[in-house]
Amino acid sequence: MSFEMWAEKYRPKTLDDMVNQKEIVERLKSFVKSRNVPHCIFAGPPGTGKTTAALCLARDLYGEAYREHIMELNASDERGIDVVRETVKTFARVRSIGEVPFKIMILDEADNMTADAQQALRRTMERYTETCRFILCANYSGKIIEPIQSRCAPFRFTHLPREEHDKYLQYIAQKEGLKLLDDGVNAIYEVCSGDLRRAINTLQAAASLGKPIDAKTVYSIAGKANPADVQKMIETAMKGNFLEARKQLRDMIQKYGVAGSDIIRQIHTEIFRTEVPEPWKIKLADIVGEIDYRLVEGADEEVQLSALLARLVEAAHEMKDAKKV
Amino acid sequence: MYFPWTEKYKPKTLKEVVGNPDAIQKFVEWVKSWDKGVPKKRAAFIYGPPGTGKTVTVEALANDLKMELVEKNASDYRTEEAVKRFAGLASQYGSLFGTKRIILFDELDGLTGTADKGGVKAITDIIKTAQCPIVLVANNAYDPRFINIRNNCLLIEFKKPSPTEVLKHLKGICQKEGIAAEENALKFIAQRSEGDIRSAVNDLQALAQGKKRLTYDDVSWLGYRDRQETIFTVMRMILYGKTCEGAKRAVDMADVDVDMLFEWIYENAPAHLTDPHDLARAMDALSMADVYRGRIRNTQDWSLMRYVVDFMTAGVAMARVNTKTSGWTPFHFPERIQALSRTREERAMQLEIGRKLKRRCHISAKRASKEVLPYLRIIFKNNAEMAAGLSKWLDLNMEMIEYLAGSKEKTEAISRLLG
Repeated sequence: MSFEMWAEKYRPKTLDDMVNQKEIVERLKSFVKSRNVPHCIFAGPPGTGKTTAALCLARDLYGEAYREHIMELNASDERGIDVVRETVKTFARVRSIGEVPFKIMILDEADNMTADAQQALRRTMERYTETCRFILCANYSGKIIEPIQSRCAPFRFTHLPREEHDKYLQYIAQKEGLKLLDDGVNAIYEVCSGDLRRAINTLQAAASLGKPIDAKTVYSIAGKANPADVQKMIETAMKGNFLEARKQLRDMIQKYGVAGSDIIRQIHTEIFRTEVPEPWKIKLADIVGEIDYRLVEGADEEVQLSALLARLVEAAHEMKDAKKV
Repeated sequence: MYFPWTEKYKPKTLKEVVGNPDAIQKFVEWVKSWDKGVPKKRAAFIYGPPGTGKTVTVEALANDLKMELVEKNASDYRTEEAVKRFAGLASQYGSLFGTKRIILFDELDGLTGTADKGGVKAITDIIKTAQCPIVLVANNAYDPRFINIRNNCLLIEFKKPSPTEVLKHLKGICQKEGIAAEENALKFIAQRSEGDIRSAVNDLQALAQGKKRLTYDDVSWLGYRDRQETIFTVMRMILYGKTCEGAKRAVDMADVDVDMLFEWIYENAPAHLTDPHDLARAMDALSMADVYRGRIRNTQDWSLMRYVVDFMTAGVAMARVNTKTSGWTPFHFPERIQALSRTREERAMQLEIGRKLKRRCHISAKRASKEVLPYLRIIFKNNAEMAAGLSKWLDLNMEMIEYLAGSKEKTEAISRLLG
């Protein structure tokens, strides 16, 4: 077993290594061949290879010393307009020395940039096109302002096909000398829903226990790593215990830093799985949808989500009343 | 029903009175001396800071000696005429039925110049001819208005009881209420009261009633503010308000800002609006208040603040349709704010580790701290060898290793491997 993060160790180094996103890879290869890269948007769910593709492209383009020609910025750490005005501009305007006349700026999690910063970025992209090309990675391209979108070549990343996912995990298991059982792989796919980074992290954490990796191990790892037990919280609320449900919510947000948008997405999924009369499910979805909307507008995620919990308490109460009649 | 503990645990006999043993002794001796005939001083003037047990002492003594207590306080009229009507009572020691009588003029500071015109003079006159013990009670005996009265009275000073004495009283109450209270918590309340027993007992009730345990954390927030009395009143106005206007007015009374008041309401509304429909309405109102806060943040248009106030006060007050206003439910300091300060250090540490991950893993520090760190924690708890390797690879310091490992032994095992 090796002692680094496997998600890094097994990250493809070149475009040829990338088994996934075949069409995208082909187009990127043609950029390398022609020694020209347009501004790009890589959009898609987490763990589908956006950052990897950008890094592979850079390595193929510049060779092993690619780090001298690129800059990686994470918009969720540095999302303000000042970063664009200073860091980005300083990097973008200085010409690169070498065979390829431009540098590459990788803006990760670009959908977390403020609207102001995006406006400033649009100018920079235009002005320094000759010396710098931008690759914006984002979960939702919709959160990138129109003018930037229209200046970029769009690439849509999708989840790995199930087969590729399984093959990749088994490959890592073999290299690391692990015993990864079939039901273990299934379980990883289920809990990580195709997010490859999370899948590999889960595999590594499971491997640290030093025993064959089966479904049970995977579920226990996932439970420990992702304490957002939304199902339990909903149950608590439906039993009428609002204060306890709110406490569980508070722990998720404060202690484990789970994002409100993640929680409400899970609540939405969970609503259709809970045991309530069918017509109620759509009523509950309506409640969830309303709070989802307010979550965007509101200032405080816990306040919004606990209003949702109170509505669940109320709904469960009404269901009970309806049964009596 | 709400019944103040200051009443419930008011001393019934002198033995239960907290503090001031010498002053009480002096007072008792003077009252008893009446049995041997009218003493030189026909009135006693008890003075001292609020909440030190002056009135209580007089009441307890009357009870102990089975005397009839005739009481006048600031709420009664004390004009010359009103007091003179009293004179008849003071003219004999024994009442009609043979019980001895004691007359108390309480809250003498409350005598106002115009409304109680001539009251001071009338009291002085009564004292001169009194046939039974007259007791005057005030905070300040040296008010110039009392100069004539003072000369005719036995002066008895009540001092603030020590925190230890107050503490003892609080402990007794907790015992009777079946509350397991941390010594520290009670000490804190006692010290904060600065010898005002009444306010100490009020604090205790507000914080502890209905609870099984009282911890230091429950009370320490009292230190943040001086006048917690106000916030409780404000909370009652909102959570039990009958009209929109009344609930809205509470905001002006609160001596905390709107955001803090919001936290108080958000914390306490559920326990006071237990009916599911009321609860849903109240939380919905708070949700709408929060939406307006978001709109203010996005537009910087602070005039929208009035809608925040509408929803969080009137909106919550109008949520009450089914929940009865019975029973006493205490108000709590917003738990969320305490929790936030408790987890602040932890979150800082998570972000530090996130930064280390960012350097190696092409992921933002924020996301790393949420998405990768939980797996590291599992690895560090289970596999010292892998943990040591990762520590080196990520360049973690001992503090980070200890945080991830979660225990001393595991940390040591990892650091041994690191050499």
